[in-house]
Amino acid sequence: MRRLFGVAVVAALAVALAFLALPVAALFVDVGPGELLDSLDDQASLDALALSLEVTAIALAIIVVVGTPVAWGLATRRFRGRAVVVTVLELPLVLPPAVAGIALLAAFGPDGLLGDALDSAGVQLVFQTAGVVIALVFVASPFYLRQAQAAFEALDPALLEASRTLGAGEGRTFARVACPVAFPSLLAGAALAWGRALGEFGATLIFAGSLQGVTQTAPLAIFAGFATDFAGALALSVVLVAVSAAILLGIRLVARARPAL
Amino acid sequence: MRRGTLVALAAALALAGCGGSSDAKPTITVSAASSLKRAFEACAATLPGEDVRFSFAGSDELAAQIRQGARPDLYAAANTKLPQQLASAGLLDRPVAFAGNRLVLAVPAGSRIAALDELARPGTKVVIGEPGVPVGSYTRDVLARLPAAQRKAILANVRSQEPDVLGVVGKLAHGAADAGFLYATDVVAAGSRLRAAELPARLAPHVDYGIGIVKGSNHEAQAQAFVDSLTRGRCRQAMHRAGFEPPPG
Amino acid sequence: MSLSVAAATRLGALELDVTVDVPAGRCLALAGPSGAGKTSVLRVVAGLLRPARGRVRCGDDVWLDTERRVWRDPDARRCGYLFQDYALFPHLSAWRNVAYPLRGLSRGQRRRRALALLERFGVADLADARVGRLSGGERQRVALARTVARDPDVLLLDEPLSALDARTRAAAGRELRAVLGGASVPSLLVTHDFAEAALLGDEIAIVDGGRVLQQGSASELAASPASGFIADFTGAVVLTGTAAPGPDGLTAVALDGGGTVVSTDRREGRVAATVYPWEIALAPPDAEVAGSAQNRLVGTVGSMTAIGNRLRLTVEAGQPVLVEITAAAERTMGLTEGDRVAAVWKASATRLVDT
Repeated sequence: MRRLFGVAVVAALAVALAFLALPVAALFVDVGPGELLDSLDDQASLDALALSLEVTAIALAIIVVVGTPVAWGLATRRFRGRAVVVTVLELPLVLPPAVAGIALLAAFGPDGLLGDALDSAGVQLVFQTAGVVIALVFVASPFYLRQAQAAFEALDPALLEASRTLGAGEGRTFARVACPVAFPSLLAGAALAWGRALGEFGATLIFAGSLQGVTQTAPLAIFAGFATDFAGALALSVVLVAVSAAILLGIRLVARARPAL
Repeated sequence: MRRGTLVALAAALALAGCGGSSDAKPTITVSAASSLKRAFEACAATLPGEDVRFSFAGSDELAAQIRQGARPDLYAAANTKLPQQLASAGLLDRPVAFAGNRLVLAVPAGSRIAALDELARPGTKVVIGEPGVPVGSYTRDVLARLPAAQRKAILANVRSQEPDVLGVVGKLAHGAADAGFLYATDVVAAGSRLRAAELPARLAPHVDYGIGIVKGSNHEAQAQAFVDSLTRGRCRQAMHRAGFEPPPG
Repeated sequence: MSLSVAAATRLGALELDVTVDVPAGRCLALAGPSGAGKTSVLRVVAGLLRPARGRVRCGDDVWLDTERRVWRDPDARRCGYLFQDYALFPHLSAWRNVAYPLRGLSRGQRRRRALALLERFGVADLADARVGRLSGGERQRVALARTVARDPDVLLLDEPLSALDARTRAAAGRELRAVLGGASVPSLLVTHDFAEAALLGDEIAIVDGGRVLQQGSASELAASPASGFIADFTGAVVLTGTAAPGPDGLTAVALDGGGTVVSTDRREGRVAATVYPWEIALAPPDAEVAGSAQNRLVGTVGSMTAIGNRLRLTVEAGQPVLVEITAAAERTMGLTEGDRVAAVWKASATRLVDT
């Protein structure tokens, strides 16, 4: 009877692995290497892939540069209404992507709250690559913020205090002690956010539209191709999975290569 | 919970699940083009003998799903080409044309754009459907009949290729785009938010909607009842109220 | 440049109210049980804790004055704070840890200065090592080097030896004593071990319940503890009972749990009779009492622990009596657990203090 729980755990693990791996494996089985190479020759696929990599990289840069100090602020400061602020920042997590797209239109679209202001500033977001970046930052930033905030909260407070007593102000403590020590967790959060951004579909379609080379990211291209060129969509899916896996693996290796803390 | 109680509970749930279907109305699933949404939902309300579940999307996407193994009971597309392709592939019974529509130039309500040539002006933001979806392919037919320079200028102004009519409606309704191509029924459904400008007769494409029973359906009788209602019953009136035209012939 | 600290604030269930002054070049040890508020005093000095009311002055610099709303951030106070678990930065090598507080120097200069400091503490060869790989004693020395790297105006040490194993502790204690002795700045040290306080501090302040109970040199505190608690803390045997005048001008204390002891102190009422374990000898249980100015309690031998060449054992006699004898003496008597034995000591070695 005692063994039963251990067996159940192993069984659950096997089922979970099979369930999560099967659809991905099926992709690879369905596509022959010839079709794969053909699809990589397709300009639309190449454009979509390049665009996806470009916009996710920009979005991630914004998320990390702005989000890290925000997470630090949330982790180190107690103020009235902190719970509300945290909830608001996490809201995009629970918004269905389509709702996120509509919300972005309502805020930044030509008829939206900031529509006139953006127009007079000459800033165009809808139908532009910039709009895609905005949508990605909106849906993916909570993934990073949560992880980064938890990482900073988990830091040994003695390390931060030691830095202060050694003459470093808060800024220097943040940059020279907090970020390096929390780095593996920050990296994990960034990987999570990047993955979310790469797969983003609904909000991008509604807010920025779908046009090859400008706003049609890989997921949008796959969706468009699904109806008319299933083999091509399949091939692009495989490439996307392979690229994602490679980047995630790379991040994992970087985290492991750092000297043991 | 004691083991015996658990088993009894599971059995009761299973029985409840089984017992349900024999008493309730039969459910048919219909894959239909997005432009049919309002009309078909109104139509389903007039059919008391069955429960209808809809799946609205671009006609091409729905056809692809059927090709990949999805099995709704009915398939209704915004053209007759897609149903005929499925029939040739042995996936659909012989399809019938059940309605017509008009492709129009759609603009946001307050817009001053009234004619096709205004779309060629630089800076105009145009939204059309993807090439594979019927509304997109009809649009390209129209553009193909224009002089080359005008066609190129309009295409250069295209800012997004949407997967179905709802995407085009959305962009126009939010003022994100200046003009787009939609069916007349879509503009009606959008109420006061959109306005339609008719296309010149020589450019207007022939828009016919086709419907067919998917091979392997378990509810052929009910599916046929739906089709009959569409071609000569109460559903036909619902289509008419939504702005659809009668089928050719 | 002396240090003067006054702090009063609420810490959870504890009311902290401490005022201490430390002259330049001297070390004051705050000793007491855990939770007494000792570390909080260090944190107030360093600026890591903001008390409801308080004043911290280092030389002419006022770092904190709640009345005049003076507050200096921790990084602007020149404190050298040695944390209990050292708080070495895990992502930096030893020399980079030591060089962390060094500002305004070129990289080469910082490395040279860091190496010189590590050399001073005997760990120069570990300069490039990751601090996670170092032993406890090595980390303590790197942490010390980092603490003194920029010549702070005050040294604050939080349980500097408690994280070390017993073997390393002795050597580290001697080294630390030398460092503190050579320092020209005031040092404030926190410990829960009286022996450590006696070794490292020039003066000891006993802190409990958020207050300083008694302050003085180690020998003063041991000779004249103000209460049973302090006597116990300094390592004495504490026997509670009721005192009344006794024969021969001595005071007789009727112990709780049975037995009587006499003392040359004059007290009445509830008292704690204290004596140090090394002042107690053991004798056979039925031997004669030699002289009236002798205390004699009979009991059974409890736990026995050998510490170096001495033996520490407990005699259960109504209340436990801790006795320390030489191993040679123990061999002569041939004692085992459960044997009946008499603990014997002089009336003049018995102090009577408040319970």
